[in-house]
Amino acid sequence: MSATSSNNHIRQLQSDLDQTVHELSDVYEEISILYHISQTFAGLTVDEICNKLLDEVQTMLGVETIAIMLVDEERPEVYTALSTGGWKADEVITKSDHIVWDAIEKNKPQVFCDIKNSPHNNTFKKMKAIIACPMAGKKKSLGALVIGEKSSGEEFYSSDTKFLMAISSQAALAIENAYLHQELEGFFFGTVMAFVKAIESRSHWTSGHSERVTRYAAAIAREMGMDSEFRDRLKICALLHDIGKIATPVELLDKRETLENDELTEIEQHPLTGATILGELKPFKDITNGIRYHHEKWDGNGVHEKLKGEAIPLMARIIAVADAFDAMMSDRPYRKKLPADRATKEIQINSGTQFDPDVVAAFMNVKNTLLS
Amino acid sequence: MKERKKTAFMKKVLIVDDEPFILMIVEDKLKKAGYHVITRRTSSNAMALVKKETPDLVIMDWMLPGISGLDICKSLGEDPETRGIPVFMLTAKGQEADEVQGYQCGIKQYITKPFSPKALLKLIEETIGKPEQ
Repeated sequence: MSATSSNNHIRQLQSDLDQTVHELSDVYEEISILYHISQTFAGLTVDEICNKLLDEVQTMLGVETIAIMLVDEERPEVYTALSTGGWKADEVITKSDHIVWDAIEKNKPQVFCDIKNSPHNNTFKKMKAIIACPMAGKKKSLGALVIGEKSSGEEFYSSDTKFLMAISSQAALAIENAYLHQELEGFFFGTVMAFVKAIESRSHWTSGHSERVTRYAAAIAREMGMDSEFRDRLKICALLHDIGKIATPVELLDKRETLENDELTEIEQHPLTGATILGELKPFKDITNGIRYHHEKWDGNGVHEKLKGEAIPLMARIIAVADAFDAMMSDRPYRKKLPADRATKEIQINSGTQFDPDVVAAFMNVKNTLLS
Repeated sequence: MKERKKTAFMKKVLIVDDEPFILMIVEDKLKKAGYHVITRRTSSNAMALVKKETPDLVIMDWMLPGISGLDICKSLGEDPETRGIPVFMLTAKGQEADEVQGYQCGIKQYITKPFSPKALLKLIEETIGKPEQ
């Protein structure tokens, strides 16, 4: 091999190596984005995912126009979930011969560097270049990510498409999870409400009680500065606090005369029965405890375990006040309802004995809004 | 000689990382952008090297055999000759406590692996400016 050809050979190898390193760099870029994105998207709602996706694409590619199009479950359409730049925020694309639908149905990105000279020249009047990238979930396609030309005027590169594919498939999986989460949440709340109906259908005297107690309890918790996670779980607890009454004989719930001692004992069982009914729901330990102890008293003279002070879970202490207030404000078979000021006075009188003084203080601050 | 002349006007970045793969991709990215890049796979003589080369920026891995990247950062921050040089920590240690510890040593940026070479380049440009002086 001559010196020249050997030099050429070395130059060729050097150039190949440079090219390989460059490609490696792109792959690493992609890996880092996927890693970063999969962490960023975890546990977000659909809106939050769309916002993050838009931010990431804008930062990484420097494009002005971005649209996240999601498939409508009811109609053969994709609608604009989020967009920026020269894209109409309410743009809807019906199923037809269209770039966005091509991307979705072929599950392949559609790239047009010169859209004016393509058969789709009428579709995107203000744009020169466009990429429509499918957002495919595990089971079905969820929509497409559409981007317009770069602010710098640069062309699209194949690495841009690769980046878009990587990010949109991660976003699609996250959106699919968020949908599933929404569905489960809907199913869960439906089940809780079915339980509420089951409790309240047994006696008309307690109709609407669970929902009112929930409203009062949530307002007290907010006034006490509790976070939304606590308040969400408190709401479930409050909705279900009387679920144990499913096992209480209807004649006791509806009895007009004063209850005998053994009948009172029977009714007093409902917090325990409720906790037992929901006992299998292990992640609901805080909620079942809230139900179990909602008739304990702050001074330790309650029923059952006679827990005292802060040994009684906060959920139970809040529900105790909300429950007593609504009970006094409602007609019962054996008595008429009390006027609001009398009921409020009773709560205040029992602060520090039956009720947690902090909960009562929060209740006093919000009582006017509750009654309006 | 021609090469020396050219590099004298280029901004200089020193990268210390024991992973050759990381050195290759960062070097590729920065060289293409126009920076003069020096790479090292160990931390031995790092202080002496920084003093000799006076780079505009140092990118340092944390977990290096021998003296750790964090210790080098401390020394760089303590030495009046090197104190002014911005340092980026490039590391797989992603815990918040690690990041805090890194910043306590006076580093400018804490970047966790895997990182985006593009984003790294952007940070470098923001910190020391575009390649040509």
